[in-house]
Amino acid sequence: MIGRRPQHRIVDVHAHLGPYSLFFIPESDAATMVAVMDRTGTDVTVLAANRAIQQDAHLGNSQSLAAVDAYPHRIAAYAVINPWQEPEHELERLAGDDRFVGIKVHPSLHRYPVTGARYAAVWAFAESTGCPVLSHSEHQSPYDAPRLFEAVAERYPGTSVVLGHAGITPAGVDEAIAAARRYDSLWLEVCGSQMTGPLIRAMVDQVGSGRVLFGSDFPFIDQRMSLGRVVCAPLTESQRQDVLSGNARKLFRWRPLPGERGVGQ
Amino acid sequence: MSDDVTSGWFDARIVTGAHPASLLPPTDRDAIAAHLDRYALSGALVSAMASWLHDPIGGNVEASAIAHDLADHGVLACWTAVPATSGELDSLTDLVDRAVDDGVAAFRIHPASHGFSPALLIELYDALQTNRLPLCVDAAELSWPDLNTIATRFPELPIVVSNLGYRKLRELWATLVGHTNVFVDLVDFAAHQGVEWLAANDLADRLLFATGLGVRDPGESIVRLAWSGLDDATVRLVGSGNARRLLQGVRA
Repeated sequence: MIGRRPQHRIVDVHAHLGPYSLFFIPESDAATMVAVMDRTGTDVTVLAANRAIQQDAHLGNSQSLAAVDAYPHRIAAYAVINPWQEPEHELERLAGDDRFVGIKVHPSLHRYPVTGARYAAVWAFAESTGCPVLSHSEHQSPYDAPRLFEAVAERYPGTSVVLGHAGITPAGVDEAIAAARRYDSLWLEVCGSQMTGPLIRAMVDQVGSGRVLFGSDFPFIDQRMSLGRVVCAPLTESQRQDVLSGNARKLFRWRPLPGERGVGQ
Repeated sequence: MSDDVTSGWFDARIVTGAHPASLLPPTDRDAIAAHLDRYALSGALVSAMASWLHDPIGGNVEASAIAHDLADHGVLACWTAVPATSGELDSLTDLVDRAVDDGVAAFRIHPASHGFSPALLIELYDALQTNRLPLCVDAAELSWPDLNTIATRFPELPIVVSNLGYRKLRELWATLVGHTNVFVDLVDFAAHQGVEWLAANDLADRLLFATGLGVRDPGESIVRLAWSGLDDATVRLVGSGNARRLLQGVRA
C-alpha cells in the first residue's frame, strides 16, 4: 500500500507552463502546478513556459518569470534560447536576471542541431558561468540525438548539459548512457512516455546515481507519471533520493534553487 | 486523506508474457502475484501478450492459465478476439460462449495490430452485450469515429479505452459525453490533471484503475491515483468501485 502522502522530497528539473496547441491541457497554470507539487512532495520545479519552446522564446520566458514572481519559493525558471530568435539578446537577459537559473533548448522543435554555430553562444555562456543547460534529446533525431552531445561535451568540457528524456526510447536511453559514461559533464533526466523503472535502474547502474535527475515534463504530461516510475523503481533509497532531489541541488550551483543553497556555496 | 483507500484496488489491465521491445518488469505468474501483493491489490484482469503480438486466439490459453492459477488473488481473464475468418475461428458467438464457460470477464480487440476493420466484429459486440462482458481496446487500435459507431450501435456494451496517452483529451471528452457506455482506464492516462478534470465534470464513474503491467511501468498508475487530487471516496470509486460494477467476478 503506497498511501496518499509522498515519502520523499523532490526537485523537478524538467517542467513547462501554460497551454500547448496540439492537445488540451487542463489547468496548465502555475497555481495548479504548485497544488500538484504540494500533493507529490515537490519542493521546487524548474520550468520553461510552453509558449517559449513552441512559438515565442521572449514572450514565453516572460511568462516563466511571472510564475517565479508568483511562487518564488517553489518555482525557478529556465530561459529558453531559440537559435532563430535573437539568442544573444535572450542570453543577455538571462545573465542580468537571477530569476533564471538555467537554459533550456529544444533543438528538435526548433529544427537546429546542438552542434550548429547558432548554439555556440549558449555552450560558451554556460561554460563561462556554470549555468546548466537542459536540452531535449531524442534518439535518431538529426538535431538532438544523444550521441550529438558528445561533440558539445568534447568542445565545451565545462558545460553541464542535461539530456532531457535521456534519449526518450529504450535504444535512446542506451545511447544517452553511453554518452554520459564518456563525458562527466553530461547528465541524464528521466521523463518520457517510454521510460520505465528498469531503464532508470540501468542509468543509475551504468552512470552512477550522481548524474541522474528527476523531471516530469508537467503540465505537458502529468507529473505523477514520471514520479511513479522513480518512486517504484528498483533502486536503493539512497539512489532514489539522489535522483529525486539530491542531484538537482548539486547541479544548480550557479544560481541555487529556492529552499536551499547549492552544494559548495 | 486516508492511506487505507490506497489498498484493495482492482488492476483492470495486466498483460502476461514477454514484451519484445521494452525493458519492463516481468509478468509471469509469480511476478503478477508479487505485483498484487506489493500494491495490496484485490485482483486484476489479465490478457496475454501472445494474443496481441503472436497468436490472437491461441494466446487466450495463457491468459486463462494465469487467471485459474491466481484465482485466489482475484485474477480474471480477458480474452482476445479477431473476425471469424475461415480456418482461424468458426464463430464469434461460440468464442464468447466458451469464454463465459471459462469465467472470462472481458474481451480485447486489436483491429490495427491484427489488420481488420472493427466492422467485422458485429457478432462479437452483440454477444458481449448479451452476456454483459466489457470490450477493451487501446486508443491506437481503432479510430474515434469507429469507437463512436460501436458505442452508438451497442449502447449497453461497456467499452473500456486504454493507453490513451497525453494528447487525446479533446477526442476523449467528446466520446465520453456522447456515450454513457464508454470508460477509460488509467494505463498511460497521462494528461496533466486529466483524472481530476474528468472527476470535476462528473465523469469519475467512467475511470478505471489499471497499471498496464506488461506494457507500462505500473508505478505510473499507482502514484497517479494515490497522489491525485481526488477525495478518498472518489479514489475508492476509481480504484475498485467502478471495476466491481463493470466486471463480473470482481471481489468486494
